[in-house]
Amino acid sequence: MNRMVTVAEMTLRELLRRRGVLALMLLLPLTFYLIRRDAYVGQSVRSLLLGISWAVSTAALFATSAARELEPRLRLAGYRPHHLYLGRMFGLWVAGLVIALPFFLLIAFDAPDLRYGGVAVAMLCCVAVAAPLGILIGALLPRELEGTLLLLTIVTVQMLIDPAGAGAKLTPFWSSREIATWAVDHTDDGYLARGSLHGLAVTVGMVVVVAAVFSLRLRRRRHLRHLPLG
Amino acid sequence: MNPDEWLRAFAAELHHRRVRPDDARHVVAEAATHLRDGGGDPAVVFGPPGRYAAAIAESIGAPPPAPAAPGPVRLQARGITKRYGRRTVLRDAGLTVRAGQIAAIVGANGCGKSTFLRICAGLISPDEGEVTVTGRLGYCPQQGGTSDFLLPDEHFVLVGTGQGLARGQARRAGRAAARQLGWDAPGDVLTRHLSGGTRQKLNLTMSTLAEPDVLLLDEPYQGFDRGTYVDFWEQLGRLRDAGRAIVVVTHLLNQLDRVDAVLDLTPAGGTVRDGGAGWGGRA
Repeated sequence: MNRMVTVAEMTLRELLRRRGVLALMLLLPLTFYLIRRDAYVGQSVRSLLLGISWAVSTAALFATSAARELEPRLRLAGYRPHHLYLGRMFGLWVAGLVIALPFFLLIAFDAPDLRYGGVAVAMLCCVAVAAPLGILIGALLPRELEGTLLLLTIVTVQMLIDPAGAGAKLTPFWSSREIATWAVDHTDDGYLARGSLHGLAVTVGMVVVVAAVFSLRLRRRRHLRHLPLG
Repeated sequence: MNPDEWLRAFAAELHHRRVRPDDARHVVAEAATHLRDGGGDPAVVFGPPGRYAAAIAESIGAPPPAPAAPGPVRLQARGITKRYGRRTVLRDAGLTVRAGQIAAIVGANGCGKSTFLRICAGLISPDEGEVTVTGRLGYCPQQGGTSDFLLPDEHFVLVGTGQGLARGQARRAGRAAARQLGWDAPGDVLTRHLSGGTRQKLNLTMSTLAEPDVLLLDEPYQGFDRGTYVDFWEQLGRLRDAGRAIVVVTHLLNQLDRVDAVLDLTPAGGTVRDGGAGWGGRA
């Protein structure tokens, strides 16, 4: 547990020291929110959620890429794969919540008559899914440019796809959109239930896939035999 | 200090640094002649006896210490073959390193030195062959392996926590290991603000922090100035004397006289040979 907490702490420290990145991580959702604010507030909230998702998953992607050279030596230093990926994920989840909090307050003050609990749950889903998604892309694609382009593709599909279509449920952030609809348009509770279930399932699925990828990448190789000192 | 006193102190310093008696006599005679012919204060002409003796000892090399009995085998790599596509990078390469030995891996660019080391560290798999490591393993990559936005102390904590060290203990161990390289690790400078050579010191310090029994170093001295480079080899000497088994990937052949065995991975080579004179010759 101590090892995992240390990795989470170092992930947070790294991120908090990148002030330019932090500013952009805040600017991205804010831009998404403000760009449609003069029209329908629901669209602004949905865009904001997508902005948070994009910002957190991009941060996760870059954090994972930056740690690629460090992780093998940490593995040799006594860390197990789950210390590394779970520690990083916890750090990013905390960072994501810190980023989401001011936007929640913004909505609470700026947009009246919403179900604010729903907005909070939608933000939670965004952060929960975004961190493992970024880590997964960073782990699978060693170069940041490829990872960034893939993430851009995913977010663009998410943005443009018909949310009522069957294919929309296959996109990672469908949950937050569904819950946001419940929160903004006061639809029936089915939206909240479906969205929450989707968010939970996607998060768990992502974590499992991340676990598999990291366990494979940082596995003990069969050709290497360790003997204790006699 | 008059010239006679300076020469006596100089001779004593040379002896202390294990310069061969014949060489020492020759160097002292040369210095005496220079002082007699040119005059002047020897402390001004040559500097302090200790410093001048150290420079002489480094330039002509110290004799090998009495060979110690080789310790038990700590690293044994056998039949290592690695292919990338159709290209065979390593073919049936092997290396045995005992406690208290330094082995060098040499060869032309692209001959598989780093690949061999990464296979020994268990970071990549060979197509054939096996590696047995006895005791704790430490690895220093050629580049990377540090985090730009962490402090040196945080690196020590990160690595130390993996070994089960408390934070304070890890910081102290890291700073002590850094001082062995002549580096006082600053507490408030981010790694990205360190020079290339200093960052490499951090890299090296991280690999020695947990006192591994087997230490694998992939050209760890890139960016080192001459003083640090000398400190580096002295540090390796101390680790060897402390019973560590060390493998260094190197292309600086002038340092090979300080190692006990050499694995030459040049395609025509692929052989293990004794390190020769200098520090060891113990294969």
